[in-house]
Amino acid sequence: MNRKSLRLLGCVAVAAVLCLLLAAGPAAAQQKVIKIGTIFPLTGPVANAGQRCQAAVQTAVEIVNGQHPGVKVPLAKKGGLLGGYKIQLVHADSQGKPDIGKAEAERLLNQEGVWALIGSYNSSVSGPASLVAERAKKIFMCGASSSSALTKRNLNYFFRLAPTDATESAEFVEVLKWLNQKQNANIRTIGIIYENTLFGKGAAGEAKKAATAAGFSVVVDVPYTPGATNLNSEVQTLKTKNPDALFGAVLGADYALMVKTMKQANWVPRMSINYCSGYQDPIIAKQLGKDADLFMGSNAYTPQFATLLPAVAAVEKIFKTKTKGVPFDGDSIQEAVAVIVLAQAIEKAGSLDPEKVVKVLHESTFDSPLSLGGKVQFAKGGQNIKAFSIVTQLQNGEYKRLYPAELADSKAKVVFPMKPWNKR
Amino acid sequence: MGAFGSPIHCSQRLLFVHSMETVLQVLIDGILSGLLYALVAAGLCLIWGVMDVINFAHGEFLMVAMYVSYWLGFLAGVDPLVSVLAAGAFVFLLGVLTYQLIVKYTVGKPPLAALLATFGLAMLIKNFCLNRFSPNFRILSDTWLGDKTYHLGELIIPIPQLVTGIIALLVIGLVYALINSTRFGWAVQATAMDKEAAELMGINTERIYLLIFGIGGACVGIAGGIMPTYLAVHPEVGSLFGLIAFICVAMGGFGSIPGALFAGLLVGVVESFAGFYIAPVFKYVAVFGLYLAVVAFRRKGLFGW
Repeated sequence: MNRKSLRLLGCVAVAAVLCLLLAAGPAAAQQKVIKIGTIFPLTGPVANAGQRCQAAVQTAVEIVNGQHPGVKVPLAKKGGLLGGYKIQLVHADSQGKPDIGKAEAERLLNQEGVWALIGSYNSSVSGPASLVAERAKKIFMCGASSSSALTKRNLNYFFRLAPTDATESAEFVEVLKWLNQKQNANIRTIGIIYENTLFGKGAAGEAKKAATAAGFSVVVDVPYTPGATNLNSEVQTLKTKNPDALFGAVLGADYALMVKTMKQANWVPRMSINYCSGYQDPIIAKQLGKDADLFMGSNAYTPQFATLLPAVAAVEKIFKTKTKGVPFDGDSIQEAVAVIVLAQAIEKAGSLDPEKVVKVLHESTFDSPLSLGGKVQFAKGGQNIKAFSIVTQLQNGEYKRLYPAELADSKAKVVFPMKPWNKR
Repeated sequence: MGAFGSPIHCSQRLLFVHSMETVLQVLIDGILSGLLYALVAAGLCLIWGVMDVINFAHGEFLMVAMYVSYWLGFLAGVDPLVSVLAAGAFVFLLGVLTYQLIVKYTVGKPPLAALLATFGLAMLIKNFCLNRFSPNFRILSDTWLGDKTYHLGELIIPIPQLVTGIIALLVIGLVYALINSTRFGWAVQATAMDKEAAELMGINTERIYLLIFGIGGACVGIAGGIMPTYLAVHPEVGSLFGLIAFICVAMGGFGSIPGALFAGLLVGVVESFAGFYIAPVFKYVAVFGLYLAVVAFRRKGLFGW
């Protein structure tokens, strides 16, 4: 090796050391970091919902870490936690698959060394991923997964914000009774269409239980394969049995396909009510246009709830910068609430000891201006007992609040029965 | 007696008519789905039959065609019935490029090489679309065919699917005629039977492969071009179609175009009847079960040789 190349090598080595030092500089200055892992379906059939949930978590973290005097949410003005700690997110993609979600939970906890996990949209992923966290004695905050089985496991480190499908099923049955009473609807028979997953099967099971207990008869029960190439036999089965009311637990593109197939088959039930799923996805409602009208469902949030939740506007402004203008929906907003509640618990515990934070989560009631309940309080097993949603009906592309009566839009009137396709 | 007998007789007849109509409706739905499957499968079948290459990115080719048609419709107001040609041409080029840049280097290598290479391409295309177009579902509204239906008594025939079926039959017929009745087709058959012998006869097998990959792409491109009329476009939309096309080809017999058509129809009808008469959740179980049964008894497929 000649002198010239030695000099060159020396320069490269010095440059490398300098780079390392420069890179290490800010890291050393930012040691007060709370690493939190997120697991959402960022790819796969429900990726649009997953990406929105991730954006909601990022929005909430931005609010907690920074100083936002205009945002009326707890901890928005403080700029960090515990006197200077900032939350740092590490993202993972579950693809909507339980095995991948579980593996990612293990990676985040064991290799990335995250302090807590947030996720995972799909109930079927939240289930196994939260078990990994439970074994590691780490907190798992679950925003949107709605399977009631998740909080029946009595885990100590699992906390879920959204209402369960048991709560929603009971609410749907109340809506049927309300329609029978107020509109003389004479609804007696119910059909259920649901995706053949933990979420769908859980929702269908709860729907049957609630409906049967209230004296309704479930005449048809249609599970389908998510991501199906068509839903012809599914809709044909429903059409043949022709239930008065249809309960749906249908996610994403499948919801759009279901509505389109119903239109082609020239069939609508007299009323159709849907769990937090494709129905409440603002993109799908927009894409389906008029065809989406007159379906009903539960929402934890839509921009039409702005008068009920005035604090959302400022948060949504930040959220929209991450989603190219798409507003919050009932699922994504729950993930933002999950972050803010966890941040409040850390602050209240005054420590990063998971045991102390878990104790606070179990014992306290948290302010939550982004939730319809206004407060968040967890029961044993981790269910937020203040959670509920409003039953809405899509009319001219707007989610009209119908039930419960005290939260209903005073100008909105339910359209019952649904108009046939040829009379719209 | 007659006075009491006739109403019962009437209601039984009504029930029978009702069930006959249901059977026919299920059959129509099955045939129309089947024709779409057959068109998607025809392209895969051609590539497989001639080159012994499994194009794992076939479902993604379908998705790309759907995006081409969707964007033409959304940005330029072109109806899918017209943009079907652009989608076909685009995926023809995509097929040619795929051959030229990837598959060419795997010919003559172990079959796994092409499979893995096209699997990688599938991942690339899917994630590119996810990144560029987001995972949002896109539905084209106000198309010419829209949600139009034709009512034949109680039977409902969805016009978009019917037109897709007719296009499928036309395209499959054209491809069949191309392979069996033209000099190009004979060259293709010769290349499929014995590549080296075909080269000795002066056939440019490299060019045949290139065109076959292109034509295979064009078939699936045409299918994808028309589909946004009735199916939401998103990056995952091609996956199950790709799998069903694979089954149709394996079941119909490798390289047999009539086989792919028959298998596509069979898959559609079995799916439809199993979905309605057994349980909707069993429709794909029945299709995959049938596939297993066919390959267990006829390893080369129904029309294979």
